[in-house]
This record gives sequence, C-alpha cells and structure tokens, in this order.
Amino acid sequence: MQVFRAYFKVLRAYAGSIAIYMAIFIGISTLIWRASPRSVVTEFFETKTPVAVINRDGDAPLAQGLADYIADNFTVVPYPDDPEKLQDALFYRKVHYVVIIPEGFSAGFMAAGANDEPVIQKVILPDSMSSHYVDMRIDKFLNAAGIYRDFGSPSRLTETAEDRQAQIVAAVREDLRAETPVILRVAGNAGENSVQESDEAYATYCAYSSYALLAMVILGISSAMLAFNRRDLRLRNLCTPMPKRSLEARLAVGHCLFALGCWAILALVGIALNGTEVFGSGRGWLYLLNCLAFTAVATSIGFAAGHFAKTSSAQSGVVNVVALGMSFLGGAFVPQSVMSQSVLVFSRFLPSYWYIRAIDATKALAGSVSGNVYPIYGYMLIQLGFAAAIFSVTLLFSKERQMTEL
Amino acid sequence: MFMHVFKYRLKCLIRDRDTLFWTAAFPLLLGTMFYFAFGNLMGSSGGSEPVKVAVVNSPEYRNNTYLQLMLGVLSTAGEDQLLDMTLTTESQAQRLLDEGKVAGIITVSADEGVGDSGSSPARLTVTQSGLGQSILKAVLDEYLHTSATATSVLSRGSVDVSELVARLRNRRSYTQQISYSDALPDYMLGYFYALVAMAALYAGLWGMRNTMDIQADLSDKGARRSVAPTHKLAVVMGDWTASLLISFGEMLILLAYLVFALKVDIGDQIGYVLLTCLAGCIAGLSFGTVIGTLFRKSEGTKVATLVASSNLLCFLAGLMYLDMKDIVARKAPVLSYINPAALIADAFYSLYIFDNHRRFFLNIGLLCGFSAVMCFVSFLRLRSEKYASI
Repeated sequence: MQVFRAYFKVLRAYAGSIAIYMAIFIGISTLIWRASPRSVVTEFFETKTPVAVINRDGDAPLAQGLADYIADNFTVVPYPDDPEKLQDALFYRKVHYVVIIPEGFSAGFMAAGANDEPVIQKVILPDSMSSHYVDMRIDKFLNAAGIYRDFGSPSRLTETAEDRQAQIVAAVREDLRAETPVILRVAGNAGENSVQESDEAYATYCAYSSYALLAMVILGISSAMLAFNRRDLRLRNLCTPMPKRSLEARLAVGHCLFALGCWAILALVGIALNGTEVFGSGRGWLYLLNCLAFTAVATSIGFAAGHFAKTSSAQSGVVNVVALGMSFLGGAFVPQSVMSQSVLVFSRFLPSYWYIRAIDATKALAGSVSGNVYPIYGYMLIQLGFAAAIFSVTLLFSKERQMTEL
Repeated sequence: MFMHVFKYRLKCLIRDRDTLFWTAAFPLLLGTMFYFAFGNLMGSSGGSEPVKVAVVNSPEYRNNTYLQLMLGVLSTAGEDQLLDMTLTTESQAQRLLDEGKVAGIITVSADEGVGDSGSSPARLTVTQSGLGQSILKAVLDEYLHTSATATSVLSRGSVDVSELVARLRNRRSYTQQISYSDALPDYMLGYFYALVAMAALYAGLWGMRNTMDIQADLSDKGARRSVAPTHKLAVVMGDWTASLLISFGEMLILLAYLVFALKVDIGDQIGYVLLTCLAGCIAGLSFGTVIGTLFRKSEGTKVATLVASSNLLCFLAGLMYLDMKDIVARKAPVLSYINPAALIADAFYSLYIFDNHRRFFLNIGLLCGFSAVMCFVSFLRLRSEKYASI
C-alpha cells in the first residue's frame, strides 16, 4: 500500500502537465465535434462549389444572367475585384473557382459569329474536379445562349441589344430548369442513417484520442518510473524487507490503474460529447474495446520510456516524438485513405496503424453488428501483440542493465 | 573582449543538447511527419480522378445515340477526362454501387432522344451526395437541357435541322484559364510555412538560455558573469550573436531539408527567403529574451511558458489547422499583424504567391518592429540591475 500511495503521490506532481494534454485534446475534440455533421440525409443535395464571380461587364443582361445562373447553382462568395484577395481566397480554399466576366463580354458575345466568341476568364485550383464541374455549367449556359443567338432567338423583332440579351437569357433559363431525377438509395431507414452520421463524429474522436492517450499515459508512467528508478531510491528500496518482486508488482498495478483511468476519462469525454447513440448498435463497445487495446500499447511504451529515458528532458522528447509520430504515421490526424501507399506500408509496423484500421472497420459496419466483426478483433490482437513485444524487450534490457549497474 | 565572449558562448550553447533537440531536431522531425501524413496531397487539390460511373447497358441505352456519344466523349482518356464509365448489367451495377466502386448508376428507361423535352429518359441512382454524384447529375442535366433547347428552337420553325444538329454536337468551351501568378495555390504548403515559423519562435529557447546565464539572481553562472569586469553590453551582444548564429544555422538546415529532401516549394527568391529566416530568428530570440527577463520563476516554468506561448502563436498562424491563419486575418486582423509566427508564415506565403513584394515587406517590417519592441522591453529590465542580496 505504501508503494502504491507513493506512486500516486509522484503522479500528482505531474498532474499539471498531464492535464495540459487532456485540456488541449478536449478543446480540439470539441472543435471537431462542432464541425462534424449530424443531420439526417434523406435527399440528394448537389455539391455547391464555392466560387467568386467578378462581373466586369456590369449590368449587361447576358452577363447578369450568367452571374445569376452561377449564383443559383453554386455558392457565390462575395469578393472584390482584387487579385491579392482572390489569390488568398483560392489558397485557403474559400473559393475553388474565380469567374471573371470581362468588360464588354455580353456585347462581344452577341455580335460575334460562331468562331470569334469572347471567353470567360477563370482562375482555378490545379487539377481539381470541381473546376470541371463549374466549367460544365458555364459552357452549358453559353452554348445554349449561342444557339438562341444563331438559330433565331425567341423573337427576331427585338428593339434594343439589351432586350435581345434579356430574351435569350430568359429562354436559356427556361431550358435549364429541367432536372434529371436522382434516386438516393440508403441502407435501412432514415433513423439508422442518422446513427451513421453520429458514428462519423465518434470515430474521429476515437482516432484523435490516440494522441491524447499516448501523450498522457507515456508521460504519467515514465514520470513515476523515473522517480522510482532514481539510483539512490532504488538501492534503498532494494534493501527493504519487501521482496523486489512484490514492489514491482505493485508498481505494475499502479501503471495499469493509471492507464485505465486515462482510458476511462477519454471514454467518458467521448460519450459526453457524442452521446450514447453509438452504443445502441453495439459498435460503441467495439470502439471502447479497441481503445482499451491501444491503452495497453501506450502502457507498454510508457514502461519502455521509463526504463530508457534517464532525464526528464529526454522523457519529454520521447513523449512528443512518439505521440506525434505515431499519430501522424498511423493516420490519426490525416485519414489513411489519403496517405500515400509507400508510407502506409511502413505504418503497418506501428500499432497506431492497426488502431485506426480497427476504427475504420468499425465505422464501415454501420447499421448493425451483423457484418463481419472478426477482422476488427484481429486488429485489436495485433495491437496487444505489439504491447507484449514492447514489454518483453524492455524487461530483457532492464534485466541486463540491472546486472551491470550493481 | 566581444570575440572572446562570443567564442565561448558559441561553444557553451552548442553543447546544450536539450535545446539543440527542440530547436533543430524537433522541427525536422515534425516536417517529416507532415510530409508522410499529407505529402501525398501536395501539388494537387484532391479529387482529380475521373468520376466512376456504371451505365446500365439496356436496349434503351443502345438506342440513345446522343447520350452514348456524349458519355463516350466525356470518358475519353486524356487530361480532360471527366468520367470513368463501366457499361454493365443492372444487377452488376447495383453491386458496384453497393461496394462503393462507382459513384452512381445511370439508367436509361425509355428512348426519347433529342427532340422531346420535359420528362427525362435517364435517371441517376446514388447512395450519397457528393461532388462526383453532382458531376454525374450535371452530365445528365446537360443532356436534358440540350434537348430542351433543341426542341424550343425547332418549334419556332425555319431552322436548318442538320445545321442545328451539327451545332449541338460541336459544343464549345467558353472558359479560358488565366492565373495571377505562376505559383500553384498549394494548400499544404501553408503547413510547412507555419512549421518554419515554429522553428523560428523556438529559437526563443536560446534567447531564454542567455537571460538565465546573465542575471545574477537566476543562476550561479549569471552571478559569476555579473561580477566580471566585462562591460555588460559586450557580454549581452556576444551571447546574442552566438545564439543568432546557431539559430540561423539551424534554420538553414531546416530549409535545406524541406527544399531538397521533402521537395517543399518555397519559390526561387532565395535572398528574400533568407531575409525572412533571419528576421524570424531575431524575432524568436527577442521573444525568448523577454520571457526570460520578465518572468521571475523557475527555469521549468519559463520553458513551459515559452513553449506554450510559441505553440499558441503557431496555432494562430495555422500550424495545427491551416484555416486558422485566414480566420484570424479576417476576424481579428490586428492579431495577425502582431503575431510573429503569422508574420513569418505570411512572408513565405506572399513571397511564393504574389508577384509584387508589397505584402512581403509589410510582414518583414512588422516583424522587425516586433523584435525592436521586445528588445527594448528586455533592455529596460536588464540594464543596470542591482541586487541587494541573492
């Protein structure tokens, strides 16, 4: 009991630093939670690519008609005709497409023959599909307008150029009203669909929590071990009547309790943020179990860090490098689906890769647990395998070190 | 005397392995992590693959020559390929959709061809809303709208039908791509610029180390150096130059690593890039010096304060979430003018993206102003300090 009390006394001294990681993590999770969608999707929505429209042709009806058509089909973000602001907007993806209707475009278009038509200028993001999407709509509008211009507009007895433009725009808009029927097929009913959405948020939370878990557990366990491994202290402890084995067993229980505590806090915060819906389908338990397997990994790394790090600065280096490295490479921050294949091949040698794999697989179960859950248990076992390997290697080295030290 | 102080200070600092790790190795490591995690996304805007679609090979589809022609043109391999089409049976198409191998299924129900408007012969089946699905719908809408236009024109009579059909087949592109500069707006670069800013602010650890070793009430070394007959200014300047040399050297290593190993594009105006790095290091050093002189706590607390505030400034400059820099610039512009991390990142960004140097020099000017204020504050605190007892 004394060892046990001393253990948590040491940890209390580090509570501040551990709490910092927790606070940062909760802050980030809350931001993500606020950003992730929870709406029920029961109908098809067209993607409204954000575009900026710079109309230098003023009030000309054709230019205005085109601008209105773009506004109806895309999200127009208002920007002034200032290259610096527009470049900023493109870089930060505030808009994906800048449409510039040059001055005199409408008059030029109306006067032109089939081969010398003026063009709309565009500034786009390199090779993005969304720019093709916008191109299609603009081309469609102007092709239709061109046909009305060349093959008899609705009435050939037009008075002014403006009226003629306005009539063409009206005819084109009329033609562009029709829509292709889209059938949105969803698995199961709308209720299940909403579960799917909240699953996404919870899965993201779980992925991010691997960082917090690693940082907190490694920091806590290695701090305690650093204190107990101080040479004088260790020598004193060795000559007490308490057998070495029972001292170490108590420390081990301390490590486990601390790690479980971290796991429980993260689980509770996750439930507080995301609600309990995800548990209704049984997938919630899979997420928690997976997180527990990863806690074992974090514990083993903390144990190794406590053995190998000699100073507290080396320890903080290890905490940051391991937690950030594993999270980045395993795909906690950036989804595995967008990482390059060669990096993923390497990531397989990291437990965090399998942790994220398990989360992705659980998410894919969506609907019910009747899907194939065995691969997920497999991923968890791999993590436990990593934990066991790290423990064994550390124990091996620590035994050698003790021999040489004494 | 200055040279003597400088030389020994250099030796002394270079042996400080902890600070070396955080100022030199950690940014390199973080850069590598960034590269591994989203290096794949660099140079592209994501989603440049053609949209995969299954088309049900029904008799109705085979009879609809116009739709066949249109889909055929859009799926032709090349730079402008929009669709990746699989012609298949209905059940196979369903399977592909369920497995997520295609974004949608196009089914043609009845052959109405060009000429009839109103009801649509083609319909789209999808399982979710997204860009790919929207493009598919736009393709089918296109078909529908062209039919409507043709019908409407034909209904007015006196139109040469063959000419109209030829015109309908020969669609024009009305957009012409221009660009404001040669630079590709590569979103991912922003993270690397913020990383350089972080490395510059971490140089503050050297500045703080200097203040620890010069104030008599903070360390024994400081006490010893204070009683030495060397002029305080020579000591301070020697320390400063040594730490600036080290942090600038670390910065060059980081830049070389980013440019040559990770292929991060920082533009080709190398002189201006180096100027930014130098101004960044000076800002970082003076920031560390201020924290070192103003806070009278233990070394651990000071380091924690410096690292936490640097990280906060870098967060606002977009290190963890790139949009943050833009959000701050729009919602609280003053903050982005006084945040050294944002100024450094923005200097890199404006060098890369803009053809003129107006915004670049604004950033550098503000950065120098920041350093001047920081130096002045620490000068006020450090000068002619007297200790009643230590």
